[in-house]
Amino acid sequence: MIMIEIKNVTFSYRVTDTVGNPVLRTGVSGLNLTIRDGEFIVLTGSSGCGKTTVCRLINGLIPHYFDGEKSGEVLLNGRDISAQPIYETAQTVGSVFQNPRSQFFNVDTTSELAFFAENQGRAPEKIRSDIQEISDKMELSELLGRSMFKLSGGEKQKIACGTIAVADSSVIVLDEPSSNLDTNAIEDLRKVLAMWKEQGKTVVIAEHRLYFLRELADRVILFESGEIKKEIAGKEFRELSADATKELGLRTVQSHSASAFKEWKETMEYFTLTNFRFSYPDKVHGIDISSLTLPKNKIIAIVGHNGAGKSTLARTFCGLHKKAKGTVKLGDKTVPVTKMLDYCYMIMQDVNHQLFTESVQEEVLLSVSESLPETEREQIARNALEMLDIEKYAEMHPMALSGGQKQRVAIASGIAADKEFILMDEPTSGLDYVHMKQVAGVMEMLKEQGKTLLVITHDDELISCCADYILYLEKGSVKHSGPVDIRYDGV
Amino acid sequence: MKNKLTVKDLINIGVFTALYIVVFFVSSFIGYVPIFMVLLPVICAVVVGIPFMLFLSKVHTFGMVTVMSIILGFFAMLLGRPWPVLFIAVAAGVVAELLLKIKDYKSIKMAIIGSGVFSIWMMGMTLPMFFGYREPYFESIRAGYGDTFADTLYAITPDWMFFVLIVLCVVGGILGGLLGAAVLKKHFKKAGMA
Amino acid sequence: MQAVISFKESGGRATLDPRTSILSIFVISMVMIGGGLSGVEYWLRLFCCLIPFVFLVTVHNYQFAAIYLGLYLFSAVIEGAVIQLTSGGWNLLFVIVAGIISRFLAPMVMGYCVMQSTTVSEFVTAMERIHVPQVITIPLSVMFRFFPTISEENKAVSEAMRMRQISGKKQSLIKKMEYELVPVMMSTVRIADELSQASLTKGLGGDIKRTHICEVGLRIRDYVLMLFLLVVTVLFVVY
Repeated sequence: MIMIEIKNVTFSYRVTDTVGNPVLRTGVSGLNLTIRDGEFIVLTGSSGCGKTTVCRLINGLIPHYFDGEKSGEVLLNGRDISAQPIYETAQTVGSVFQNPRSQFFNVDTTSELAFFAENQGRAPEKIRSDIQEISDKMELSELLGRSMFKLSGGEKQKIACGTIAVADSSVIVLDEPSSNLDTNAIEDLRKVLAMWKEQGKTVVIAEHRLYFLRELADRVILFESGEIKKEIAGKEFRELSADATKELGLRTVQSHSASAFKEWKETMEYFTLTNFRFSYPDKVHGIDISSLTLPKNKIIAIVGHNGAGKSTLARTFCGLHKKAKGTVKLGDKTVPVTKMLDYCYMIMQDVNHQLFTESVQEEVLLSVSESLPETEREQIARNALEMLDIEKYAEMHPMALSGGQKQRVAIASGIAADKEFILMDEPTSGLDYVHMKQVAGVMEMLKEQGKTLLVITHDDELISCCADYILYLEKGSVKHSGPVDIRYDGV
Repeated sequence: MKNKLTVKDLINIGVFTALYIVVFFVSSFIGYVPIFMVLLPVICAVVVGIPFMLFLSKVHTFGMVTVMSIILGFFAMLLGRPWPVLFIAVAAGVVAELLLKIKDYKSIKMAIIGSGVFSIWMMGMTLPMFFGYREPYFESIRAGYGDTFADTLYAITPDWMFFVLIVLCVVGGILGGLLGAAVLKKHFKKAGMA
Repeated sequence: MQAVISFKESGGRATLDPRTSILSIFVISMVMIGGGLSGVEYWLRLFCCLIPFVFLVTVHNYQFAAIYLGLYLFSAVIEGAVIQLTSGGWNLLFVIVAGIISRFLAPMVMGYCVMQSTTVSEFVTAMERIHVPQVITIPLSVMFRFFPTISEENKAVSEAMRMRQISGKKQSLIKKMEYELVPVMMSTVRIADELSQASLTKGLGGDIKRTHICEVGLRIRDYVLMLFLLVVTVLFVVY
C-alpha cells in the first residue's frame, strides 16, 4: 500500500537576503517519490541538497509553516497534506528534529512524553499506561520525572523519540537526528529505529552519518541540488565500500572504517599537564589527571564517552573553569591553568555563542591585540580572513553566514588572536563528507602555522583523516594516550 | 494580514516575554541602590526596549502585544506585587497594540512610541507608594512613628510624583525603543533575522 | 536569579493545588501591602505572614524558614522599638528597610514557595481547569520553559566572552552589553523558530480538546486554606 506520494513537487523558500530584498531559494525541484507503508527510507546528500525539504513536505511544515512557492502535491494516505491543517497531518506523522535542545515543549520528561498524545486528545489513563509500556521497551524508565534541562543531548533525543512512540504515529520523519549525538547515543537511536521498523512503521530519515542505518535501510535516496541523483537499494547500500562512498561524497557506511591512520612523525617538543583537578558539584563528574605529556604542533584528538570529562578537560586547559586546579609546562615556563586563557582559543560546538560583532571583519579585528598599531592590526585581520578564504564576506554580518562559514570566522578570530593552542569542540558534528574534509583541511593548515590543536570529537572519519595523536578519557582520567596509529577501540 | 493568533505567534509571545522578564530583572538589580528605587521603572524601560523592539518585529497579528501585557501583569502578581498591576499592564498593552495597529504593525516610528506606551505597565511595580495604598500606609506610619516623619515621607512621594514617573517611563520606553531599533538595524536586519 | 522566577522542573505532586496557591498569593499581597499596623489588620497581617513560614516548614526548607522568620522578627523589632530610639536620617533608613521587609517579603516568599513546589504542567493544567484560554496558557508554558534556556544561552555567551578576553579590551560598557545581549537574543529567535516547528508537528493548537496526564485537584488542605483565606479577606474588607 502506498503511504506517501510526492508528485512532481517544486518548492522554493521565500527568504530575505542581507539587503532586505525577498528572494527565492530552491528547496526541491520536480521531485517524484513514492513511499510504501512500512518502508524505511534514508535521504542523504550534502547540506542544502533538499533532504530536509522532503521531511518538511511530509510533516506539513511546508506549506503551513515555511513561506514559499510550491507546485505539485504531496499525498499522505491519499489525502493532500497542504489541504488539511498541520494538526491533522500530525495524527499520522511524528517528527524528530536535529537540535535536541530546541524541540521539547515541556520542562519535565514525563510531560514531554505525554505531550504529543495529549494534543491528540487521548484519554489520560491510556497515555499513562502507554508511557509505562514505552519506557520499558525503550529503556526510558530512569529518565521519567526528571528535568529536561538536566539531560544530555542523547537522552533528550531519546525522549523526543519516546514522545513519538507514545503518540503511536504510523509515519515517522527524522531530520538529521544524530547530528549532536555521540556513539553510544547513536546506538540507542539505532535500537529505536530498529523497533519502529519491526513494528511496521514507515520511517523517513534524513542523515549524513550512514553507518548506523546500514542494516535498516530499504532504500537510500541521494539528493543533489534539490533533485534525486541516485537511488540505492538496501542490499546494494549495505555493501558500499569506503571508496564507493567517498566517490559519492558520502559518509562511510561501514562502522569501523578507521583503517588508514596518519603515520606518526616524532616531534621534539612536548607540553605537560600536571595535577589537573576539577569536580562538579555532583562529585561524580570531573577530571583528575596527575601528569600528562602531549606533543606540540600536532593534532590531538580527545575522545571518550559522554561524561568522560572531554569538555571539562578542554575547558580547564583553557582556564575557563575558575575553580579548576593544575599547571601546564610549556617549554621552560610553568603556567597555572587560570592563566591559560592567554595561550588558548576555543572553537565552541555552537559557534553562534562566540560571534559578537556586526561584521566578519570586526569579529576578527576584535581578537587582535590592542597594543599593536592600527594598520598592523588590520593587516593581521586581513591575513586571517585570507587564510580561511572568507575575505569576500568581510563586510557581512557573521550570523548571515552558513554554519560552516561561521565556524571559519571563529577560527579566523582564533588565528588573529595569535594563541598557541586552538581547541575545538565537536567541529564536525552534523557535517557531511565534503564539509568534514574541509574542516580537516583547515586543521592541517593550522598545524602548519605552528599551532597545537586539541580536538574533542566523536567522528572516527575525522580522526582517521587528520589526527596525529589520540587521548582517550574515561571517568575523568586518561585511559590511553599515544600516536593515533596504535589502534584504539573506536569510541 | 492574518486575524487569528497562530501557534508560532503564541510561542513567540512566550519566548519574548521570558526574555523581557529576564532582562527586566537583570536591569532592576541597579534598583537596589536606594536612590534609583523610584527611578527603577525608567531605567528598566530603557533596557527592556531592546528585546521589546525585537518582539514587535515579529508581531503581525492583533492581540500579541495585549497577550504579552496580560502575562507580564499576571507574572508580577505571581511574584507578590499588588493586583492593580494587572490592570495597568493590560491597559498599557491594549493602548500600545491599538497604536501599532493603526499602521498595521509596519511602522518603526509607531513601534518606538508603542514601546514608550507599553512601559507604563512598570508603574504597577511602584504602586504601593501611591494612591489607595497610601492613606492606610501613612496612617499607620503616623501612628507608629510620629507626625514629623510621616510628613517628610509624604512630601517626598506626592501623588503627582506618580504622573512624573509615568512621563519618565514613557520617555524611557521611547529611548529603549530607539536603542532597540538601532540594534535591530545593526544586527538582526543584516543577519536576515528580522 | 533564575531559581526565583522559574517553576520546579520535575518531581512529585505539588503541595497545594495551583489554584489555591494563586489565591493565597493574592490574599497575602493584598493584606500585607495594604494592611495597617494596628487593630484587626495587625492580626490579619500576622496570620498572613505565617502562611509562607508554615509552607516552608512543610516542604522541609528549614534554612529558608529560619531566615524568613528572622527577617520578620527583625522588622518587628525595628517597627516596634528602634524607631522610637532613633531620629533623622537613621530613622528614615530603618523605616524604609523595615517597611519593605514587612510588606513585600511575605507575598514574594509565597510566590517563591509556589513556584518551587509546582511544575509548569500542573500550573497549566490548573489554569485550563478554570477555563483560561490557550491564547494565555501556551505563551505561559513557553515562557516558563524558556527561562532555563535563556540562562543556558547566557552562560555559554559569557563563557565565550571570557575566552575571547573581551573584558580586558578597551570597549565601552554599552558595547559589552551589546556583545552579551545580542547573541542571546539571536539564539532566542532561532530556538523559538525551531520550537514552533516541533510543536506544530506535535499537533499543538489544533481544534481537538487537549487532555492532561497531570493530576491536579483540590484536597482537604486546599479547602482548609481557602476557608481561612476567605475569612481573612472578609475581615480585611469589612474593617
